[in-house]
Amino acid sequence: MIAVRDLAKRYGALEAVRGISFEVEPGEIFGLLGPNGAGKTTTVEILEGLRSADSGSVTVAGVDVMQDPRAVKGRIGVQLQASAFPENFLAREIIDLFALFHGRRVDALALLAAVGLQDKASAREEKLSGGQRQRLSLAVAMVGEPQVLFLDEPTTGLDPQARRNLWALIRTVQARGTTVLLTTHYLDEAEILCDRVAVMDGGRIVALDAPRALVGSLLARGFSKPAVQQQANLDDVFLDLTGHALRDD
Amino acid sequence: MRSGTTDLIGQVLRYTLMLARAYLRDRSALFFSLILPLMLMLIFGGLNLGAFGHVRVGIDDQAQNADSARFIERLAAVDTLTIKRGSAADEKAALTKGDRDMVIVLPREFRLAPLADGQRAPTITLYLNASSPQQSGVGQAILAQLIDQTTFAVTRTAPIVAVQVESVSTTDLRYVDFLVPGILAMTIMQLGISGVAFALVVAKQRGGLRRIMATPFTPRRFLAGHVLLRLALAVIQTLILLGVAVLLFKVRIIGSLPALLLVAVLGSVLFICLGFALAGWATTENQVAPLTQLVTLPQMFLAGVFFPTEAVPAVVRPLTNLLPLAFLADALRSISTTGATLWDVRGAIIGLLAWAGIGFVLAVRLFRFDTA
Repeated sequence: MIAVRDLAKRYGALEAVRGISFEVEPGEIFGLLGPNGAGKTTTVEILEGLRSADSGSVTVAGVDVMQDPRAVKGRIGVQLQASAFPENFLAREIIDLFALFHGRRVDALALLAAVGLQDKASAREEKLSGGQRQRLSLAVAMVGEPQVLFLDEPTTGLDPQARRNLWALIRTVQARGTTVLLTTHYLDEAEILCDRVAVMDGGRIVALDAPRALVGSLLARGFSKPAVQQQANLDDVFLDLTGHALRDD
Repeated sequence: MRSGTTDLIGQVLRYTLMLARAYLRDRSALFFSLILPLMLMLIFGGLNLGAFGHVRVGIDDQAQNADSARFIERLAAVDTLTIKRGSAADEKAALTKGDRDMVIVLPREFRLAPLADGQRAPTITLYLNASSPQQSGVGQAILAQLIDQTTFAVTRTAPIVAVQVESVSTTDLRYVDFLVPGILAMTIMQLGISGVAFALVVAKQRGGLRRIMATPFTPRRFLAGHVLLRLALAVIQTLILLGVAVLLFKVRIIGSLPALLLVAVLGSVLFICLGFALAGWATTENQVAPLTQLVTLPQMFLAGVFFPTEAVPAVVRPLTNLLPLAFLADALRSISTTGATLWDVRGAIIGLLAWAGIGFVLAVRLFRFDTA
């Protein structure tokens, strides 16, 4: 569904992406991990047709992105890190707006209902909580019935309940046959959500495999840490105490 | 994706309507672009700064006949005159106190009829307020003109010299007549520069622009929507401001409304281009405010919005007269207050076109959809 070959991009003296290659299979949730400045966002933006590459080739949903960046935009859904919607729009109007951008007509209320925002259809976007806004952003990304969904740090800044809710929604999207490529700083998120992950550092992919396989190979190299075998962590305690119910409604 | 020009136009129009709906919800935008100009108009129009105002006329009608009544009626029909009636003594007292600009006494023998040979014409006595020479001068001129007209009517002759009266003599140009086109020009400037610059820098900085660019919607359609919205707003606001001016301040718009609207739209195009240029230059919301102020504030005071450009020091006037707002205010004012045609204001229109060209080049050079 996504094929990247020898992709490179430099900004002046900074080599942001240094010749990376990877493929994403249809229906997969693929994670792009790495510290800040690793080149994740640049890579994703090139894949989305938002940024040009210096060299290499990128095919997304059958479209050669280098040749036809506009065509790929009709086949993908995008959620950007900072993606402020225009002000003074109601939630359902934002869905209609992006449907217009995609040249489609959609049932805004049904899309909102799919992300649990049916009650917020007539609320202004500015009035939504962080979690609601991310869910709206997800609904907007689905407006074009994309073959590939790009999510740039989808759960940053959300509370544990909202994160889990969003993970469930992302799995629903996957279940519908949509391929998902996401970037994240949260390794637990990658571990729980992603079928495979690529770890980037300094513009290169330093590892690419299923999360469990990566952990396995690390252990096979003799890695160990002073482990206290616990069946629960603080995250579990928090959720046990505060429950799974969403708080922003 | 659908294709075809009708779809393209439909898409742009629907986008424009969506933007308009959101704009109407934006209280601060509405305040600054519509309410504030109206308030300025009310305040300054009400102040009647340096205004000529009315000529206060006291009349003692000692004839009390049908002719004198007709004559007074015709005087009262002149907008500039405010007529008060009373005895010559009372009215003269009012004149002394400064409550009248002139007092007219119609004598007992006042008639409007051809004179028999050797008959003396009835003499109207006029008392003028020396401390308001402008007003009493105007009153005197109006009276003389009325007497001439009446004479020609009664004697059934035509004037031997015809006077072509230019549509507005400076005497009945009130301050508010002068002010309204200036406020209009200022509003069009604010709507273009501040409206566009703020909206787009916010969208740029917060990532809204990138989000839109990640859809198949093209930058051109995006721009078309924003430009169309602003042009429509410029036309609507021109109509609202002129409507209030006419209804509330009895402002007379002498030139043609379509000509005014055309100049307003041209000015709007120019300032929208400058707005895009500023939005390209500024990268954060904090930069936009001072930047737009820097461009708009000096123009408000130097380009003849609130007072004539003659008040600007002569040394800098050749420069300030070249400001975009100066061209716009000048063209709107000439059309509105003197009935100038588009051809008459061609100089200002050329100036506006030149600035629009400069603005367009700057906008294309400076405005980028790509933020990084």
